[in-house]
Amino acid sequence: MVSFRNGVAALALTSLAISACGGAAQEAAAPSATAAGPVKIGISLPLTGDFSEPGKGIQEGYQVWADMVNAKGGLLGRKVELIFRDDASDPNKVSSDYESLISQDKVNLVFGPFSSRLVIPAAQVAESYDMLFVEPAGAAKEVFEQGFERLFYAAPAIASDHYNYLAEYLLALPADKRPRTAAYASLDDPFAMGTAYGLRDKLAAGGIKTVVDEVYPPETTDFAPIAAKIAAAKPDLVVGGTQFEDSVGLVRALQELGSQPRMAAFSTGPTLAEFPAAVKGAAEHIVSPVGWAVSSGFPGNDAFVKRYKEMFKTDANEDAANGFTVGQIVEAAVNAVKCVEQTKECQTKLADHIRQGSFETIVGPLSFDDKGRPEQAHMIQQYIDGKVEIVLPEGSKAQTAKLVYPKKEW
Amino acid sequence: MRNASRYALLAAGVALALAYPWIVPNLYLLYAGVLTLMYAATATSWNILGGFTGYVSLGHSAFFGLGAYGTGLLMTRAGWSWIPSLIGSALVVALFAALVGVAAVRVRGASFVIVSIALVSMTNLLVQGWRSLTGGSTGLRVPSPFPDLNRGQSHFAFFYLFLGLLALVMLTWWFISRSRYGAGLRAIREDEDKAESLGVPTAAFKVTAYALSALFVALAGGLYALWFRSLDPIFVFSILIGSYMVLMSLLGGVRHLFGPLLGALIVAPAGEYFLVALGETQVHLAAAGLLLVLVVLFMPEGIIPAAARLVSRPQQASIREEAAG
Amino acid sequence: MTLLLQGLALGVLTGGLYALLASGLSLYFGVMRVVMVAHPAFLFLAAYLTYTLHTASGLDPLLALPVTVPLFFALGVAVQRLLVARLAPENLPMMSVLLTFGLALVIEGLLGTVYTGSYKSVSMDYATRSLTLGAVRLPYDRIVAFAVAALTLAALFTILLKSRFGRALRATIQHREAARLVGIRTERVTGYGFGVGLATAAVGGSVLALITPFFPAAHWAWIGKLMAIIVVGGLGSVLGAALAAVMLGVIESLVLVTVDATWATMMFYVFLFLTLIARPQGFFGGRLAQRF
Repeated sequence: MVSFRNGVAALALTSLAISACGGAAQEAAAPSATAAGPVKIGISLPLTGDFSEPGKGIQEGYQVWADMVNAKGGLLGRKVELIFRDDASDPNKVSSDYESLISQDKVNLVFGPFSSRLVIPAAQVAESYDMLFVEPAGAAKEVFEQGFERLFYAAPAIASDHYNYLAEYLLALPADKRPRTAAYASLDDPFAMGTAYGLRDKLAAGGIKTVVDEVYPPETTDFAPIAAKIAAAKPDLVVGGTQFEDSVGLVRALQELGSQPRMAAFSTGPTLAEFPAAVKGAAEHIVSPVGWAVSSGFPGNDAFVKRYKEMFKTDANEDAANGFTVGQIVEAAVNAVKCVEQTKECQTKLADHIRQGSFETIVGPLSFDDKGRPEQAHMIQQYIDGKVEIVLPEGSKAQTAKLVYPKKEW
Repeated sequence: MRNASRYALLAAGVALALAYPWIVPNLYLLYAGVLTLMYAATATSWNILGGFTGYVSLGHSAFFGLGAYGTGLLMTRAGWSWIPSLIGSALVVALFAALVGVAAVRVRGASFVIVSIALVSMTNLLVQGWRSLTGGSTGLRVPSPFPDLNRGQSHFAFFYLFLGLLALVMLTWWFISRSRYGAGLRAIREDEDKAESLGVPTAAFKVTAYALSALFVALAGGLYALWFRSLDPIFVFSILIGSYMVLMSLLGGVRHLFGPLLGALIVAPAGEYFLVALGETQVHLAAAGLLLVLVVLFMPEGIIPAAARLVSRPQQASIREEAAG
Repeated sequence: MTLLLQGLALGVLTGGLYALLASGLSLYFGVMRVVMVAHPAFLFLAAYLTYTLHTASGLDPLLALPVTVPLFFALGVAVQRLLVARLAPENLPMMSVLLTFGLALVIEGLLGTVYTGSYKSVSMDYATRSLTLGAVRLPYDRIVAFAVAALTLAALFTILLKSRFGRALRATIQHREAARLVGIRTERVTGYGFGVGLATAAVGGSVLALITPFFPAAHWAWIGKLMAIIVVGGLGSVLGAALAAVMLGVIESLVLVTVDATWATMMFYVFLFLTLIARPQGFFGGRLAQRF
């Protein structure tokens, strides 16, 4: 009896609190066009949970962009206001965040969340509301195979192309210097595997033999036995499709077990500021793909680096740069088509503009294919004398040093 | 008289639930409603095992995930249509649960909890590792059962599908609670050894309760797959989803038919509230944890009995409880 | 062959670490029939404290132990007396899981708030070198971890077997009512038992900090593994858990070098189920597991 009354009361309360006016499904299809007021941009990011660290970087990039746009007078003369939601690294939350940002907060634009694993559910929501969806982090190739028509990845290349310059470099080496064998170890994650396997496929096609090919689940806590397997195969080249923890675990264990490859490449981990301290001296000569560099010299990059430092008191990183790039592309599109409304016409115009245009960004000029894939390539960075240097592509503005190969022993 | 007001309340509740999609002002609240119903359905299913027998499974997300993946795989790999996929997948999961149950319910209390945690980790590893079948970490995309509906209409449809599932689970719970079978399960909760010596076939009872509860959780998982259409092993086989079921049931009151539903109606919006109010930092995790600790310490029987004690004379509480259950 | 030997050696070293990390869980279960889901979260709390002390003072992480061990002992007594002891006894195993699950969330949330979600690590100079024995290399950080684990477990066994407190604790584990009848103050002993359990988490956390980077949500990956170890070992048996830990450490490592990482992790759960089917009380333990 009592249980009953409580249950019903709760139900009644919930629906009373929310029942303002009728007609849910019909209304959302035609969002109201508020001409005045700020331009509201809705963003869901993993500020807590497994992906919280890169999530925070991207958030800061968005904030720097908004700050700089507002300093210039805003978008089409309207102030930009960012609305962040924490998705706690949970896809149900990502969807509900975008659903509420679009249908409840009536945001003018949405920006993407972090991680390939969260981008797909988020893009599904945006797509079904006909919203433009430029995203800073969904690099795995599967993201672009869902048939999304308004999704664009705001970085130079998708995961499997991250190592392209390195593959070209290695395959161009004279036969006696070229590595003969390679070992691959990758985290079971679409992005990390994408990078490692992109390189593997190119090198294998070029005749470099794969001697170890390991995939480990995210639950893995002990990397020494994987390293033992690699050490036993004595490869010339070690490639890790890694995030942070595992890149440190693998580097340390490879060192301990006496593996001395002539080149070591790891994705993500070495691009984070914590890496050199975590592996001590072993960072020297490790190479990684990187989508952005402090030194790139691309227009606007220096201003971004400076403003970031003023706002957050630390040095800018790649995640922040990716967030900033999203802002730059959308800003350019908005200024070109002169609209920033949630309506289907406006969002379609924006998407069409981005698909056809080319954009000057802090990660270089970007253009996209019909699936939203960027058509450029990542640079390759290397630790040289303890400093991060851009070593490939050869002869580019961004290059700060020559690639060291073979690497020094660790 | 009392009965009359009870039925009136029930009718009002049902009417309100049925009307919900028509009275909410935007799609987000409809979406949140679908999600809440899903939680309520899984929590009530969990309560078929947890409430009657007292066995706490932290790992029911294993069945949720298997039900979701089973449905998705039957549709994409075997080309079945959605209804047979949903039902077939749930039946297979129930069979699997019965087999696991034979090993799992041999142990009580703490060991059982550990087994349930292990089950989630195992199924996650299996689905993630079996890349050629499940797509592994790249996830599985499930075709829409209603390709002609737009997003809002699809939320509409799934609101009623989940509502139907919830009704089905609650009816099952209610039938069990009035049956000899239910009395046997309760005897296991009160004193398993005594129940056994009185001739209750405890092992068979426990295994069937386990399988039945898994069946409904798998159905919820299957519906989720059809609705959400994007599955990722680390998210569906998550210990957090399993613990939500426990938290909701416990908060509302595990001995009551409406307990898990009430719990879901509180926890789901509260979770959103914590995220919004305390967003930016991880304090909201600590707040959720603290809430759980407080419930366990001060309201281990849930809100319903606690409220009942406030409203009525204490000596009636136990009779009332039986009636409500 | 060399690879197998190398795998075996690494497995033994890792198993020793597992034994230390799981010992606390066995103790809680022994004294109170409590499954402490928050134990791994406490491990990482200790790792973070070690990190703070290490970066502030530059001392070796193991020198943080004189601070963290007493602190965690007190914390353990407090958790038992203020929280766990308040739960109704008839449903203790179940409710304690939920209580400690809540605690784990609180710890993770607080760590995330104070230290942010970024990775922290403590790297000593010996962290990347190893001892070569024939064809097999033994990393120094693993040797240190193993040695610390062995010393801690030896100390723990000495306390349990030789001291008055240890005898009282074992009596409480074996038969609470009888222990009370012969004059043991079981409430106090139980509190101290919890304290000792959490003190092992302080040591375990420092060692973990030495060998792996960590972040606030890192504890989830350890819960299933450590739980499997204490069931295979026999719930409530510290010795059983230690033996099971080494066994599973070796099996994990050998499967990793011969098959792959997914199956290596899976082994913990395979053995858990084998144990339940063949010998539910665990391979080394008493009959506690079946009854509770």
